[in-house]
Amino acid sequence: MSVRSGDGLGGRAAIAGIGATEFSKDSGRSELKLAVEAVRAALADAGLAPGDVDGMVTFTMDTSPEITVAQAAGIGELSFFSRVHYGGGAACATVQQAAMAVATGVAEVVVCYRAFNERSGRRFGSGVQRREPSAEGAALGWNLPFGLLTPASWVAMAAQRYLHVYGLTPEAFGHVAVAGRRYAARNPAAYFYGKPITLEEHAASRWIVEPLRLLDCCQETDGGQAIVVTSAERARDLRRPPALITAAAQGAGRAQEQMTSYYRDGLTGLPETGVVAGQLWRSSGLTPGEIDVGILYDHFTPFVLMQLEEFGFCGAGEAADFIAADGLPLNTHGGQLGEAYLHGMNGIAEGVRQIRGTSVNQVPGASRVLVTAGTGVPTSGLVLGTDEG
Amino acid sequence: MGGADCSLDERLKAYAGRAAMAGGVGKDPVNAAMIRHWCEAVGDTNPAYTGEAPIAPPTMLQAWTMGGLSGHMGRSAAYDELFVLLDGAGYTAVVATDCEQEYLRALRPGDEVRFDAVIESVSARKTTKLGVGYFVTTKMDVWVGGGGRDGEGDVVGTHRFRIFKYAPDGGRSAGKAGGARKEAARRPRPVVNRDNAGFWAGVAEKRLLIQRCGDCGRLRFPWLPGCNGCGSEKWDTVEARGDGVVFSYVVMHHPPFPAFDPPYAVAVIELAEGVRMVSDVVGVGHDEVRIGMPVRLEFQRVDGEEGEEEEELVLPVFRAAEPARDAEPAETASEPAEPTSEATGPARREVPPLVVPITRTLIVAGALASRDYQDVHHDAEAAREKGAPDIFMNILTTNGLVGRYITDHFGPGCVLRKVAIRLGAPNYPGDTMVLRGTVTEAAESTGDGTAVVRVVGENGLGRHVTGTVTVAVVGGGAV
Repeated sequence: MSVRSGDGLGGRAAIAGIGATEFSKDSGRSELKLAVEAVRAALADAGLAPGDVDGMVTFTMDTSPEITVAQAAGIGELSFFSRVHYGGGAACATVQQAAMAVATGVAEVVVCYRAFNERSGRRFGSGVQRREPSAEGAALGWNLPFGLLTPASWVAMAAQRYLHVYGLTPEAFGHVAVAGRRYAARNPAAYFYGKPITLEEHAASRWIVEPLRLLDCCQETDGGQAIVVTSAERARDLRRPPALITAAAQGAGRAQEQMTSYYRDGLTGLPETGVVAGQLWRSSGLTPGEIDVGILYDHFTPFVLMQLEEFGFCGAGEAADFIAADGLPLNTHGGQLGEAYLHGMNGIAEGVRQIRGTSVNQVPGASRVLVTAGTGVPTSGLVLGTDEG
Repeated sequence: MGGADCSLDERLKAYAGRAAMAGGVGKDPVNAAMIRHWCEAVGDTNPAYTGEAPIAPPTMLQAWTMGGLSGHMGRSAAYDELFVLLDGAGYTAVVATDCEQEYLRALRPGDEVRFDAVIESVSARKTTKLGVGYFVTTKMDVWVGGGGRDGEGDVVGTHRFRIFKYAPDGGRSAGKAGGARKEAARRPRPVVNRDNAGFWAGVAEKRLLIQRCGDCGRLRFPWLPGCNGCGSEKWDTVEARGDGVVFSYVVMHHPPFPAFDPPYAVAVIELAEGVRMVSDVVGVGHDEVRIGMPVRLEFQRVDGEEGEEEEELVLPVFRAAEPARDAEPAETASEPAEPTSEATGPARREVPPLVVPITRTLIVAGALASRDYQDVHHDAEAAREKGAPDIFMNILTTNGLVGRYITDHFGPGCVLRKVAIRLGAPNYPGDTMVLRGTVTEAAESTGDGTAVVRVVGENGLGRHVTGTVTVAVVGGGAV
């Protein structure tokens, strides 16, 4: 059982290519077109042709099926295709799926992708008012008649408890926002390029759902991002230095819900992230102190704090101070707060750039990067490493 | 269009300071019959209003000045022009939002009331939930006696009144689309399936049912067909006794949803039995909810009328057992600043709640007893044409109910000095309003023997009324 022991996946697969569209508020084209552009860009980055691809993985939430993207991108027969559920929690799991397929020989070159018009089309931030009477619909249904309708509100409920238990104020979340926007300000691909913020500006921004302010919430974005995974051996022969998948994990907690896990203990942590953390540390043999860069999923600032605590970078309730003291280079692309909300996939790309040494906010000598996926839902994570690392 | 509205703004503002009514005379002297009708309508049994030497309920102040079915007399040309201007610009609907009355001396049968009123202000163009429009504030002086119209006689009270003249856009679409607006404003429905139908069946019987594992006895929420503790599929239910505490909460600001009125609080409640559920906290403002606050279960109809199977939605909600002591009450803009912050401990006492079923009869009787013949208070069809789902209570009836609530509590010896109220969610037929009061300044602390009470009336839609009442407590009443 890998919840309790390390696995045999580490180091057998690598990310060989990354590619994205521009990140915008109105792409002016279809989600399928964005997916195809991102896939072709990632293949070009890897130095591979569409004909090399035999596997594709995306999110269950994606509207562009693997077969349709393959068709439009010039990709032929597929021996592996898969989708991962739970919104942004799927991000790193797409790469885990690809790595498992590659490691077992089920596929040789797998492209993971996510593309949407999340700003100009269906905005997640606009909330949910109706669900079908499936088990999944019923689970969220407990919240709807009472008016708890938006992702921000689902996170805010835990955030309020976190502040209460640790005696903090909402300003604690500001450190996450300021750090993300500081990096975004230096990243030309970021929506908030050239626009850093201060703690005061965070504290003055309007309430969205107390205790969350506007600047605690990520952007909404149109765009696509793709990641090419192949075996470590093959990656070494391609045009980019491989980013080895040192460890990959999924995690769900006991009594897990999607965004509304209010019925289990605490509400001050992310037990599903704890499951991912345990497996990543066991499988990689690494400890938090050996991580050079953290790319932690930041749809809402409070869960960045809880992730740092679940991964053991600092003690419970201490993460705001940890960030304020620059305890770890974090979200060097600017995160989803600052660069773009690509459901976590742009964070994986930044992890790859750090390993390659090509980030606009490069951490000198970075050889081990932790990347996480959507929080508050069943989630996933990766440790990426240099070939020598 | 912006330019046109700007110039309209300017033209409207010019009416500030002009007379609204000059030389008004009450159509009837203060009389026992109207007093009795009023008391019967609002259920006021205060003995001061009957017997040998009765006084009129102070909150009737405006009723003596009303034109009734035959219309107003003495309205100024300026006031009429203002309304023609607003009606002509499309701001045809009107709703009263604030009423502040000060009572200087009691009115008695036989008193002949005279009054003047001035247009105090016309606001800039405002957007509210009702639509876009203008607030118009008038202030009326009411006096009795004195032969002429030059201010002789006794000023018995003042009456500041704010109305909102608005363009009823929502109303027009509602008139065409039938139930569309109602549909849009309905609460999101519970998601009911075979696994959780038992919970909602319990709610229909006003019972909050918690699943209990048939093997290990563990209680669980939300409802699921098996136990997370032992995996057993056997279960029965226990009924929650209804006590809980706020485990966590949020205050929703953005984005807005048709069925909710932001900001509003939503909480995770931890029941005494140990399970948690998401629900609403009622009885306190959104800014008064706190973690650890004790709450008590009740069932609240949030949509539809009783027995309307398709429309009706009853939810288990939780009423705060007591207001948070560390939180200042949320003041509304219409109220004078109150020195409430020092009123803690014994001085800050709760007035026992008054539950007022909002019947159609109460709404109509209250409107007519206050001589308010606006059709939205008695004619459901006319109300719907103007965008309301039904008739709704007029502000003077609310004012009377608030007055009655306070005098009931302090006893027949007390005298109302001021009532200042602001209306929020309308009182529609079939709803229930619960008036709650908090004494923010006790009589013994004010020096002049008056107590100040903050009053909040909540109905199924939210806060119907917030206000402040100043009452002279004679001979050591209840406080």
